[in-house]
Amino acid sequence: MVASRAVDIFEAYTRFNTGKRVREDSWDYVTVPNNALAMKEKYQINFGPDIVPTDDDLSDRLFHAGLEMLVTTGFYNTNLGRVMYLTEDEILEGVRKAPKKIKLGRGKDQVSCKSRHGNSTRKPIIEGGPTGAPVSEEIFPAMMQSYVQEPVVDTLVSGVLNTVCGQPATTNTPWEIRATLAEIRYVREACTLCGRPGMGI
Amino acid sequence: MTNAGHRITDAHECSQLNELKMDMTGLNMLAGWTTEGDTIMIEQMPIFGGYCGGVEETAICDVATTLASFALFSGNFHLDGPIHIRWGTTTNRESLQIAAHAAAAIDANTDLLLANQYYPMAGPCTEMCLLETAAQAINDTASGRELLSGSAAAKGVVQDKTTGMEARMMGKAALATAGMKVSDVNELLEKLVSGYEGNYNSAPAGKRFQECYDVKTVKPTAEYLQVYDGAVQKLRDLGLDIEN
Repeated sequence: MVASRAVDIFEAYTRFNTGKRVREDSWDYVTVPNNALAMKEKYQINFGPDIVPTDDDLSDRLFHAGLEMLVTTGFYNTNLGRVMYLTEDEILEGVRKAPKKIKLGRGKDQVSCKSRHGNSTRKPIIEGGPTGAPVSEEIFPAMMQSYVQEPVVDTLVSGVLNTVCGQPATTNTPWEIRATLAEIRYVREACTLCGRPGMGI
Repeated sequence: MTNAGHRITDAHECSQLNELKMDMTGLNMLAGWTTEGDTIMIEQMPIFGGYCGGVEETAICDVATTLASFALFSGNFHLDGPIHIRWGTTTNRESLQIAAHAAAAIDANTDLLLANQYYPMAGPCTEMCLLETAAQAINDTASGRELLSGSAAAKGVVQDKTTGMEARMMGKAALATAGMKVSDVNELLEKLVSGYEGNYNSAPAGKRFQECYDVKTVKPTAEYLQVYDGAVQKLRDLGLDIEN
């Protein structure tokens, strides 16, 4: 049946909250592996030696296997211990609603991330940075500059400050919040020092 | 600083949990961001050898969770990162194959924006680290991804072991790959991955940022530039038309 509309976060929560109760270990060790194996067998997914696929039919079968995996398995909420489901039409409606291009950053430093297809001659957006790796407070700005100063880098992904004001940035403490805000300030400072203040982060 | 320095055109990141799971913290963040109209990136790193199982099952879960990022969590782009349960990297053969197959499957059927993140085994200022990074950039570019995010050298777990030079390699390798025939890409990847995959148990730890750059001038050391040139030459010898 056609979807009435795409599912948003609020609808997702409502469905989680009224969903079927499932034990998390049963989800991890039974539901997910069994369903993935069933989809592999149903859609005859076998990769062979190619690292990048060259078989269009295999790619289509893999897409439909993944789509059916999401429809039949649903999604698990670890706090509620419940499962919610989406229909295939709702998933496809969400796909249609998603942007085909987005703008990252602002001003002259803004870049447009647009859909590529196959191995297009247009290169992907290059987001340079430590990708969440731990970084010392003392060298954080310099390390960020080392990415921003690279002409091939379009946007920046931050690292994680190990300490802030000498205090460990422990999860779920006020120092974590302070460290997060400090990371953003340092990143902005690095962008400005390299003459790319509008770079997307 | 307005919005704590984060603008609507900066990516707000929320991670799914392994596998096909989310928690209330994620949902609550997303409630605020979607209402505000922020740019949202949903991350998920399926584990090869974990709950999903083998390469094909992990790729099926990868496609499913990527679709969920858009259909369930209102993401604007999806950040992937299939990771190997034994090696903890994204540059190994199995992770590359999962990432490429999942991206190509979604790319052939949608216009969704797909990203991937980088966790090589070796540390900075080593040829192996640069070649691993190049392999994944070649793989991601050829399989249709829109954004490459990295690189977290030394598996992203060692303090100060990441630098801009690895991002330079990621970008230059992507630039050189865009437009290549996929069959040529596969030949190149086979040789490239075969060259480093036997070295995981003895992968070079590499150097810290402070040893790779002059921290005051933010210039890479002559040693790192030499290592970089060596990696570029090796990639050219394998058939990649990469700039310095």
